[in-house]
Amino acid sequence: MPASAPPREAAEAPPVFAAPPAAARWRWLPDRWLARVSVAPTLLLLFGLFIFPLLYVLVLSFTDYSASGNAEVGVVGLENYGRLVTSDQVQARALTTVLFVIGAVGLQTVLGFGLAYLVHRQKRGGGFLTVLFLIPMMLSPVIVGAFWRLMLDSSFGVVNGTLSVLGVDGPQWLSQQGVALLSLIVVDTWQWTPFIMVIALAGLNAVPGYLYEAADIDRASDWFKFRSITLPIVWPILLIAILFRVIDAFRLFDIVLIVTGGGPGGTTETLSFHIYKLAIRNFQTGLASAYGVLMLIAVNILAVIFIKYLERLQAR
Amino acid sequence: MNPTSPARLRLLRMLALAMAIAMLAVACGGGSDDDATEDPPADDASAEDTSADEADEADEADEDEDTAEDDADDDSADDGDAGSGEALTLRMVWFDWAPANALEDFANEQYAAVDPNISFEVETVPFGQWHDAIFTQFAAGETSFDIPILDSQFIGEAVTGNHIATLTDFANDNIDLEAYPSNLLAAYAQYPVAPDGQFDPDGEIYGLPLLADTWVLIYRKDLIGEEPPGSWEEMLEVAAQCQEDNPGMAGLAFHGAPDYDTAGITLNQVIWVNGGEIWDGEGQVEGIINDEVGLAAIDQLVNEMVPLAPEGVGTAFIGEVNAAINQGQACMGMNWVAGLEGMQDPANSTLGETEEEILEKLGFAELPDGEVDVSPMGGMGMHVSAYSPNQEAALAFMEWFQSAEVQQMWAEAGGVPARTDALNGEAFLSARPWNQAFTDSVDSLKDFWAIPEFFQMIDVHSTQANAAITGTQSPEDALNSLAEQEQTILDGGI
Repeated sequence: MPASAPPREAAEAPPVFAAPPAAARWRWLPDRWLARVSVAPTLLLLFGLFIFPLLYVLVLSFTDYSASGNAEVGVVGLENYGRLVTSDQVQARALTTVLFVIGAVGLQTVLGFGLAYLVHRQKRGGGFLTVLFLIPMMLSPVIVGAFWRLMLDSSFGVVNGTLSVLGVDGPQWLSQQGVALLSLIVVDTWQWTPFIMVIALAGLNAVPGYLYEAADIDRASDWFKFRSITLPIVWPILLIAILFRVIDAFRLFDIVLIVTGGGPGGTTETLSFHIYKLAIRNFQTGLASAYGVLMLIAVNILAVIFIKYLERLQAR
Repeated sequence: MNPTSPARLRLLRMLALAMAIAMLAVACGGGSDDDATEDPPADDASAEDTSADEADEADEADEDEDTAEDDADDDSADDGDAGSGEALTLRMVWFDWAPANALEDFANEQYAAVDPNISFEVETVPFGQWHDAIFTQFAAGETSFDIPILDSQFIGEAVTGNHIATLTDFANDNIDLEAYPSNLLAAYAQYPVAPDGQFDPDGEIYGLPLLADTWVLIYRKDLIGEEPPGSWEEMLEVAAQCQEDNPGMAGLAFHGAPDYDTAGITLNQVIWVNGGEIWDGEGQVEGIINDEVGLAAIDQLVNEMVPLAPEGVGTAFIGEVNAAINQGQACMGMNWVAGLEGMQDPANSTLGETEEEILEKLGFAELPDGEVDVSPMGGMGMHVSAYSPNQEAALAFMEWFQSAEVQQMWAEAGGVPARTDALNGEAFLSARPWNQAFTDSVDSLKDFWAIPEFFQMIDVHSTQANAAITGTQSPEDALNSLAEQEQTILDGGI
């Protein structure tokens, strides 16, 4: 007899917990259907906000539709995809995006983990420092971009003003080839390093203290402890943060729009910014839809590779 | 869950059903667009047609909506009668700059005497998002505004999409079309614009002038003398000399940012003033913009003008040019007239403690001639949204706004009118120190590309001009690439 079964006497006695009257009234609605009705609003929302637009974009990507125009919509098959895949402009934007993602996420990972490590070692005031470092992440990217644009202005910006006081002739941060992309990386890093830091800090806090104690008994060096204890435990958690940042950086748009406007000469235009120009400025809706689908596929492939790597790492 | 379990099969069936419904919904989604294509909300807002039929349609659609269409009267603007019985707010959309605020204040203050029930709101958006803010609403087939303020080049896209009302009959009946300089009226009102750039009396009208504009030369009288340079070449020589004589100062500030038409207008002006063209007016770009004259012009821009500009010319627009002059960092500058508001204000300037002190140092003149006497045409027209339920009230306001007296008042309020009488009137000429320079420029104003492909074209134009200005590409490569890309667009490619 299971431990939870009632004693024989109790089973024969009239039931203590009779079904409430309300349940009798709702007998026509079985639990299974109640569950379906309960999740239906969420599913409808999901369908309306995600699935329908996604399918709509997929359909539009095979047409020459323009949301602003009045011309008859024609089906063009895979022509939009062909144009995009072979376009020099798209390839240039893809390269810019990849450079940005590598530069920004790489820098953020190093700085974020470094900050987390320092904060973690801090015996007092760690919480205050964490909150302080989190402030940039709480600001709107548009506001951040507007401020950095002012600060990086070649003629009136505080950055070059400070450099000139020190006797250094600052570069044209926003209109010099190469430097402008670096400026975007700096702005993004300033805002999103705290994200990596917070997750890395959570990882560091999850490292069992007894491992360090055991290492101390063996007189292991700090570097050995970091390499053999800290990093292997924190790395999988850090990878999740990197995955989020890569996906986010891959679709960078707002900071480009505000800080450089895609200049100089289009060299800081990312894939998302290019889609925006095609979709909203030029109203080449069909083409931009195909662009969006391609980008979605690319991000998903990237994410799957990342997750597979993560799974292999955790399986070790 | 077992892969072949009934529960899994049920789940798969439900997913398939959901997908089928989704595909059905997607397939049906285009229906409304097709309907819109076949039956645009309004394609003619002539006084006779819009007043009754469309107003009634709008009322049927939403009887509770707070509109004044049924009560508005064509003559209300003339007789000063408070024609609309209910309060109504007419909404406009423009980009964020001083004239937008001036227009809202002016309309609210002055139109109250005509119809106290009507008020005005000018919604402002960042300059870079001006087109997007208007056309995304057009694309949705519903607008929060009644009077979109469009750049002259937006008209083609708006007309071909049936997004703005045709005003031909209304304008012919109610507006004195001969009161305007022909080139200004053509740019702000017509599509397509006649090949000579002048107003075509037989053409369709889709808007009326709101604010005329062009570049003028701002120069430091205390540094280069009372008289402005007499020619384009002389301007560059004077700028170079002034830069050399005043270490730390730049010779000539101008626009070079990649946003919208900023760097593109600079490129146009340099090509035009050197005797070149940016296209043939029909569809040929390659071989015209990048001919010998064009290549020499872009070389002049990059190798003669950029070295004279303040640092950061690759991101410079109206504010940067004004700041360079106001902060004593540039000897001369070229800027839009309507963007000069505040130049004489001591709060914005280090050139003097009072307005008089500042104006002793600053002079304003028409852009000097080169091979050709030409200045870029700016400015915008007022239009009526085809989706607005308040078209009649909007037209009554526009009729009032175009009258000679109101144009004088608009000039006094800081606006740049487009009527010839207002442009030559004392009210305008004495309202701002740079207004005379604008009036002097009117005959030489030149517009470009009022075509549906404008935004694709200007994106390439400004990006490539910015690439040349910032040294990202060599002048020759930038112009040749520009020509190739623009030709592809005009030939129907991407």
